[in-house]
Amino acid sequence: MEKLYLLATLAGTRIAVEAGEVEAVVKLTEISPVPGMGAHVAGLSALRSRVLTVIDVAALVRGVASPQEQRGLAIIANISGHSYGLMVDTVSDICRVPEGELPLRGQIDAAWAPYARALIEHEGQPWLLVSLAGFIEGGALAQAA
Amino acid sequence: MDDLLQEFISETQETLEALAGEVVAWEADPSDSDRLDAIFRFFHTVKGSCGFLNLPRFERLSHAAEDVLAEIRAGNRLADPATVSAVLGLMDRIGELAEAVAVGAALPSENDDYLIAALVARPEANAIHPETAAAPVAARQAAQAGPRTIRLPLSLIDQLMNGVSDMVLARNELSRKLRERTADPELDNVFERLSTCVADMRDVISKTRMQRVDRLFAAIPRMVRDLGRELGKQIDLNLEGGDVEMDREMVEMVVDPLTHIVRNSIDHGIETPEQRRAAGKPESGKLRLEARQSGNQIVIAISDDGAGIDTARLVDKAVAAGRLTPDAAARMSEEDRLNLIFHPGLSTAAQVTAISGRGVGMDVVRANVERIGGVIALDNHPGQGLCITLRVPLTLTIIPGLIVRAGGLHFAIPRSAVVEILHDNNDTLQISEVGGAKIATIRQVRHSMVDLEDVLGMTRPAQSTPRAIMVVRSATGVPFAMGVSAVDNHEELVIRPASPLVMASGVYAGMTLPDNGKPMLLLDAAGLANAAKLPNILDDRAARQAEEQAGAQTGVEMVAALRFEELSGEKRLLILSLIERVEDIDASLFGRSGGRAFVRLDGRLVPVVNGLSDFDRDKVSALRLRDDVREACYPVAAVLDIVQMPMVPDMVAMHGLLSGVAVIDGEHLEVINPFALFAALPQDDLVESARGRCLLADAQDGWTREILAPLLRQAGHEVVLGLPADALLDPRDVLLCTGVDTMQAAGMVADLTGCRVVQLRASPRAAGPSDMSIYRYDQDALMAAIAGGQG
Repeated sequence: MEKLYLLATLAGTRIAVEAGEVEAVVKLTEISPVPGMGAHVAGLSALRSRVLTVIDVAALVRGVASPQEQRGLAIIANISGHSYGLMVDTVSDICRVPEGELPLRGQIDAAWAPYARALIEHEGQPWLLVSLAGFIEGGALAQAA
Repeated sequence: MDDLLQEFISETQETLEALAGEVVAWEADPSDSDRLDAIFRFFHTVKGSCGFLNLPRFERLSHAAEDVLAEIRAGNRLADPATVSAVLGLMDRIGELAEAVAVGAALPSENDDYLIAALVARPEANAIHPETAAAPVAARQAAQAGPRTIRLPLSLIDQLMNGVSDMVLARNELSRKLRERTADPELDNVFERLSTCVADMRDVISKTRMQRVDRLFAAIPRMVRDLGRELGKQIDLNLEGGDVEMDREMVEMVVDPLTHIVRNSIDHGIETPEQRRAAGKPESGKLRLEARQSGNQIVIAISDDGAGIDTARLVDKAVAAGRLTPDAAARMSEEDRLNLIFHPGLSTAAQVTAISGRGVGMDVVRANVERIGGVIALDNHPGQGLCITLRVPLTLTIIPGLIVRAGGLHFAIPRSAVVEILHDNNDTLQISEVGGAKIATIRQVRHSMVDLEDVLGMTRPAQSTPRAIMVVRSATGVPFAMGVSAVDNHEELVIRPASPLVMASGVYAGMTLPDNGKPMLLLDAAGLANAAKLPNILDDRAARQAEEQAGAQTGVEMVAALRFEELSGEKRLLILSLIERVEDIDASLFGRSGGRAFVRLDGRLVPVVNGLSDFDRDKVSALRLRDDVREACYPVAAVLDIVQMPMVPDMVAMHGLLSGVAVIDGEHLEVINPFALFAALPQDDLVESARGRCLLADAQDGWTREILAPLLRQAGHEVVLGLPADALLDPRDVLLCTGVDTMQAAGMVADLTGCRVVQLRASPRAAGPSDMSIYRYDQDALMAAIAGGQG
């Protein structure tokens, strides 16, 4: 069965996320900061009556917080019972990929290595397949602890 | 099929829980056929369903139980403790099996036969002596049919709750938008109606989170019964308030602490029947669990009539464990001593038993209770019982909180964690800084101080208004002072868990979404203290005690003393602890006897320490003194005030009534030596009944009646005219006679009883050298003779 993927750019890199992980993509409005946390926790944001923990994924990967004015879109995901918003630069498409997941090729940037799972091909471009849960459980929690 | 199986499993598990209590109650009253029917029905249902679901082991177990219960129902068999145990054993096994089926695990089956054998076996002894082996537990539980219920998945309810929360937020936004427009009464009306509906809906939905406390109590009767039998104790269990409702999650959180307390109470509190008999209590101990709602709290009281907590032993243990210096222990109040039970690793259990006493105990219970915002209180009556009260909030999710501002952001902090709030320009507050550490001294008490901005790594914007200093106390730590920009508001907050990512920071306990739609974080007081690396509880306490001791050594020890004015005019001091009370006494109550002054108080004669008995006023202020056994009265001119005097007077005189001179407020005051005061008191108690009477033998004699008797009465003696007909004489009595003829009769009486005889003569001169009589107007000699007889 062909899976659906959400294609987006994040910290200048093309990424793909399995659509099953994605609950929604929203435009972030107001973010209340959470002081005392690393730069990768952008803050809290209310989505109707839910409170999202907004993750600055670019900061998580590159270690540099995204500037305030670039905070626009976030992918909403429910990871182990909590709602997160993962900030991305742009979201381009949702599509099926007939070829499926391809093994990683080339030397991947050390910053991306912990998160990259595979590659997928779309419109002649390679996209890095990442897992949202991986950002939270693999990266953010490890940094927080 | 899977659905059916799942349904069967959860239904069986639920019924089992409810039934355990029923079985125990049935044991206490085997004639209760309703309960027997309920139990029978359970096994019958299980048997029926598992035949259909093809679960042969369930079927075999329930079939065996059903057989036995049918026999009991038919009256062919007695519901003795062994049978009840076996039935309970079967129920446990069914529970285990259900669990195993639910997770798809295998369970070895060899024990089934053993259980069934135990049930079917009919030891004759049990039929003959049904009571001897058992320690029956009588559980009184209102056997009422619960309300009709249906089963719903939790996620559905959570979804419902989220939906209602969304509705509330949407309504709030709509209300804001409506306010911006011109008023339209019709629209307002409709909106008002919608608002009410939404509010009602929210209330109802929040009730779906509620659960009857019955669920909390369900496992208790069984546990009490099993423990009671194991320990050979008889326990009369009483459960009350099962219909009180509390938050589902709260029930989960309280189960463990409650179980622990009940175990403790049975193991340590309630004594064995022999001990109870010896202590004059009924053989079966009372254990009472009561739940009630009080405001937005649920109060659960667990009381027993057992031995209570032996605080002395607790202190000994703490000292032995090196947690407490003997000095500190001696200074502790009874309440502090009692609170030692919450220290980790301390237990009054003389030995470790399987049930409790491993030192993992009340500290964990308290931590658990406080973690959910509850409070635990002890009411200890040594030898008579202990009552433990748990107060827990009605729900986990709504707590009263304070909204504080720091670094331009808003935070919430639980109301219960804040002890007091001051502005930093308050006179009672002094903030000093040393070596980078901030210390807030509030009314002589020093607290570690942190600024919330510093802990959270925020910049502190300049502000013109005074900052607020909150004294914050976490559940476990010492209070500390925390500075914030301002305390803005006080609100009931709906708290939801924050994501693990945020919780990992350690300073947040959750988050809340206020009406303005901006998420707000709930601060964790203990976490803040940790994050700021404030000295933790034990260090601080030790430091404080060391400080206290140092203060005591360098300073002069002061004691409270009463400053008063003597009748002779001097001002003197007397240590206050000696004085029982000060009262005005009628001067007429003072008197003299045998050269000693006394005063008649409450029907007793109390010695007067300064020997005064005549006063120039009607009422005399008197200090009532008491050492450990004797009391005395100290008449004074006036009581002035209470002052602090040095324990050792400035000038010491080791002899006499005065122990020295102390300078108080520039005035030299003599200090009374309490030792000398009591040492000077007569050795014998001036108890009236112990004194001899004065028997006047010549009752007919005019002089005796009119002159002698009043004189003696005035001197405080009890006077009897004539010899008592029954001749009931005490050796302490004194016989007085004037005539020669009565003298002989008196002499005979005196020989018989051993009392003294005083002979009086009318002539001032003695008749001869052998004449032992006393001239009747020689008062001193007369009194001395009478007093001598009493010596």
